[in-house]
Amino acid sequence: MSITNLLENWSDFRHQHPSEDRPHLEYKWAMSIDLDSCTGCNACSVACYAENNLPVVGKEKFAHGHSHHWMRIERYWDNDGREFADQGAQFLPMLCQHCESAPCETVCPVGATNHTADGLNSQVYNRCVGSRYCNANCPYKVRYFNWYDYPTTDNVWPAPMEQQLNPDVTVRGKGVMEKCTFCVQRLTVAKSDARTQGRLVLDGEVQTACQQVCPTGAITFGNLVDPLAKVGKQWMQQQVDLNKDKQAKDAAEEAVKLRGYRILEELRTYPSVMYLEQLRESDI
Amino acid sequence: MARSQDKDFQEVSAMIENGFNRRNFLKVLGWGGATVALSGCGNTSVEDGREFVTSYAETADYIIPSIGTYFNSTCAQCDAGCGIMGRVREGRVLKLEGNPESPINNGKMCGLGQAGVQAHYNPDRIREPLLRNGDRGEAITWEKALELINEKVGSVNPENVAFLTGVVSGHVKALLNNYLDALGSGHHYVYEAVAPSVVRASNKKAYGVEMPRLSLDKAKVIVSFGADFLGAWVSPVHFSQQYARFRKPDNGERGVLVQVESKMTLTGANADRWLAIRPGTEGILALGLINSLAAAGLPVSEDVAAAVGEYTSDRVSKDTGVSAEHIGKLAALLKERSPSLVIAGSAAEGYAHGSQNAAAIALLNQVLGNVGQTVEAPSSVPFPQMAPSTGNSFALQSLSDDMAQDKVKVLFSYGANPVFTAPAFFKLKENLKKVPFKVVFAHYMDETAVEADLVLPLNSALEDWATLMPEYIAEGAQLNIRQPLMEKMYPGTLGVGDILLAMLKQRRPDEYNDYEDFYSYLRSAMVSNKDALGGADEDDDTFWETALSHGVVKLVGEPVDMTGSMSAAALVVPAPFAEDATYPLHLIPAVSASMRDGRNANEPWLQESPDPLTTIVWDSWVEMHPKTAAKLGIVEGDIVEVASKSGAIKAQAYLFPGIHPDVVSVPLGYGHEAMGRYAKGVGANAFSILDPVFDNETGELAMHETRVKVTKAGQRVIIVKDEGPAGGSQMGRRIALRIPSNKVNLSEEV
Amino acid sequence: MYSFLRLSVLLVGLVVSAGSYAVKAAQPLTTADDLGPNVEQPFEFPHDRHAGDAADGGMEINCMYCHTYARRSIVAGIPPVQKCIGCHQNIESVREAPRIKKLFEYWDAKKAIPWKKVHDLPDFVRFNHERHIQRFVFAQGKPVQEACGYCHGDVKKMTVARRQKPLSMGWCRSCHMKDHRIDATSTKTSQGPNDCWQCHK
Repeated sequence: MSITNLLENWSDFRHQHPSEDRPHLEYKWAMSIDLDSCTGCNACSVACYAENNLPVVGKEKFAHGHSHHWMRIERYWDNDGREFADQGAQFLPMLCQHCESAPCETVCPVGATNHTADGLNSQVYNRCVGSRYCNANCPYKVRYFNWYDYPTTDNVWPAPMEQQLNPDVTVRGKGVMEKCTFCVQRLTVAKSDARTQGRLVLDGEVQTACQQVCPTGAITFGNLVDPLAKVGKQWMQQQVDLNKDKQAKDAAEEAVKLRGYRILEELRTYPSVMYLEQLRESDI
Repeated sequence: MARSQDKDFQEVSAMIENGFNRRNFLKVLGWGGATVALSGCGNTSVEDGREFVTSYAETADYIIPSIGTYFNSTCAQCDAGCGIMGRVREGRVLKLEGNPESPINNGKMCGLGQAGVQAHYNPDRIREPLLRNGDRGEAITWEKALELINEKVGSVNPENVAFLTGVVSGHVKALLNNYLDALGSGHHYVYEAVAPSVVRASNKKAYGVEMPRLSLDKAKVIVSFGADFLGAWVSPVHFSQQYARFRKPDNGERGVLVQVESKMTLTGANADRWLAIRPGTEGILALGLINSLAAAGLPVSEDVAAAVGEYTSDRVSKDTGVSAEHIGKLAALLKERSPSLVIAGSAAEGYAHGSQNAAAIALLNQVLGNVGQTVEAPSSVPFPQMAPSTGNSFALQSLSDDMAQDKVKVLFSYGANPVFTAPAFFKLKENLKKVPFKVVFAHYMDETAVEADLVLPLNSALEDWATLMPEYIAEGAQLNIRQPLMEKMYPGTLGVGDILLAMLKQRRPDEYNDYEDFYSYLRSAMVSNKDALGGADEDDDTFWETALSHGVVKLVGEPVDMTGSMSAAALVVPAPFAEDATYPLHLIPAVSASMRDGRNANEPWLQESPDPLTTIVWDSWVEMHPKTAAKLGIVEGDIVEVASKSGAIKAQAYLFPGIHPDVVSVPLGYGHEAMGRYAKGVGANAFSILDPVFDNETGELAMHETRVKVTKAGQRVIIVKDEGPAGGSQMGRRIALRIPSNKVNLSEEV
Repeated sequence: MYSFLRLSVLLVGLVVSAGSYAVKAAQPLTTADDLGPNVEQPFEFPHDRHAGDAADGGMEINCMYCHTYARRSIVAGIPPVQKCIGCHQNIESVREAPRIKKLFEYWDAKKAIPWKKVHDLPDFVRFNHERHIQRFVFAQGKPVQEACGYCHGDVKKMTVARRQKPLSMGWCRSCHMKDHRIDATSTKTSQGPNDCWQCHK
């Protein structure tokens, strides 16, 4: 990276609202997760392990907080001091939010994490030097560090388990940061196939691994720029604007609410994942 | 603070005195670092001539390197029979997806199914037949193994030959039955460690069929008495899809789920109202609901009204621990929103009076008019000889008794791990030793294989041929196809179909010698029946290839008649449990979606996947209510001993708000002593301490009737779990939000 | 003393970085040619005989006849032995040549030929042949050998393939940074992707 390049393009490196100034032209990948449909079954989590060559770290390392679940299900109770959790639990699938204004992108000392033209937060393994500043800055704590060299660690991929590894995804060595990529390997293939046919990717043509496996279909994924895409229609109907840190619909207390929201929106990360609030029946 | 005379300290203090403090040190480093960073390096990481290229001798047109080809097959991780679609690249299967063409799962899958690739590529799979020599297993050839089987079977009375299997169906079942037929006798024990056997029997009585077709998506209210239909009950992926439509139907009227159980299951965690109920009193609650419904004006027959007369709200509330307010609200909801659906799950399977509980719950369904709406007749199976033989624990009991009486001289075990799943009081291991020749068909050296005289290594499900019929018929009857997704990993394994065929050739050579292997038998059997399998207009090859390409053949069956009685006459639901001073707590062994009966414990993804309710990984636990823990002076992480009359196990205590204070729960499937590197030594085996209590009507093991005492064992550990120190609290942050249903208009949503 | 230390480290660092920068400036990346090592293959396949000009005794076979997948996959692919045999089973004149005999040995044993990978990018790089062929051959109408030659050099002058270009990221980027016409007739151009995640997986 030369100094001239740095100076010329400085304004590009840090933009407050990248989407407002330069809206995404062809693709902006986004997701919506319906917390009322999510049953907390963890199928998405396991599917992510399968698709993205995630290492199984074992009990001891898990205890140290070194697990690698790019997609994890957080479980909350809402008892308010009642004797039982008599309204069940709240399951929250948490993954990289691919923030438009990602706090991780600005602090990487070597520029290993950037924003792609189609709205993803990228992580380039071979550039990462392992400062772990990005994870320190991430409010969602969805970045995972390879504290050990898992490809050479016993019982992570003992022969012949390494044959299951996905050749489209790098197997990470020691010292690099990793996180959910919205299955960029699938997106790239879908975009390339569509390009060869002279068109854009259609809604539903590409699915992330978590979306594909979810038994209740709680995860919707697609291109926000595509007017026909379900995810865009959901965001619009829920009146959640990608480029706002406070949604207009939340301004006043309404009798009937829209249940779309983004987590920790007030931190001005502009996440690309919208959640739909879980419901509980009022009549029982 | 004493000043150290250490040399290092002196050096450091000298440095500080001379002004070279840490700040200066960093400054120097910083300058150096900054300048070097600007220079960069010039080499590349291009690797010349080190690796091989993907190269073929001869390949099909559709094989394009780097682009996956997808093949359909059927999952084997549980008995639901979901269709899978394997992504195959360069000759090996990489990942499984759901088969969109299977009406059971419609392209979706569960985490357990995803782990099927780990069962296939597992490093602990057995690779060749093993013959016992003292304490060791010596590798032998298949010829020798089959010869030995022929010899042993031939040398005993066929009466003394026994097959112990899990659920079998399809052509494998046909071959097995033919073999037994060829023997002239022989016994087939079908065993499932965790099975809805009491519910099957009670369904048969109440509805005329063992497994009616449930339409969760047509119901407006679902009341589940412990049936974990989103987690591990019967066909969870199928029910999850129905559940999604139940929650968000087109008209926007969200369905209401009420879960009644003594220990929260995954389904319970998703309920609008989770009712903690005194263990065993579910039948009382069901009758109480009928009473309330009748009082509110719902028409019930005279004998039913008479039977439920004494189950007033107050009495039921006292017996069950569910408040009168909740009983009233639930009854009102059921009366107002129709159709509903009431399901019996662990309420039935768990208790000596389980059949009575199930009958009461079925009666509630009938009184509500759900039969014919959300409880319907399943399709019949046009090929009954391929319909699944379902299992129960009674079968294992019988086998164990027969073995004890020296009635079994040759035993074949397939699709079961009874040495692990049988409670200690069965004395199964002891009785096994009385069998002179034991053949175990296995993937791993599990607890049962370790006791065998001959171990036959099986193909994994991803390299095998079979047809299967699921017990739970989702839409219409279907025949699932299992085909290999790649070449066998090890030349020394065989499919169970191949083994049975080889054994059949020994008994009936004229009939079976024409078939080279199980594949040719299967293809021939399918093709010769293609008219009935929807291939009447096709030639043999087209029919077969189409069937393989879809992975499932839809069958045409007639809807079965739903007969069965709605009678409360014989209904006697006993009073709640008496107290027991020595064993004050009830043990509920929990069935989790991944661990189940422990058959998949050697798949590391599943061990590392946190239990959805406790978030615990790589170990078992003893779940108890904070009140119970406080009474016993137990905190989280205390190692406790859970002791019943039949045995004791130790595990870490975990405080949980979703469990009745009189109950503790330990998950099943942990505590393997063999099976592989990921399963062995992880957790404690809750099967082992179950008490000998049985359902009065079916003789099934009453899994929730074990009474235990819990004492501290003296050690405390830090529990390895995914939730942080805040436990389940959001600490005042708005992370996972929840909103009452009357504040949302779902019909406007996309 | 410590200010001297700081100054010397600073000076050394500046010299080194300036030097390396100067070195880079002297060699423009765009046209650097970097000959790879000779990679030993199971037998010497003569590209010149197959792909070469008729004037040189070659058969002018299109690259993509054998490396079929270049237009539809990320890898160009090595032809299965079946493809070689497709022609060679009918070419009696060379049937007894030593290399052809070796070929038929593999075919008769139905064994894949263990070709070594000559152009092997590191595992964290994803190079997509399809996009390049689609643009240069199909959209721009460039002759196949020219398009393949941008990166693989003049293969028809070689027997066994040998890497002709550096294949480094800088070298790839130097071409990506140029404007390329989107098709043969249009004046509209586009550049190759600049986005890390297009090429790094």
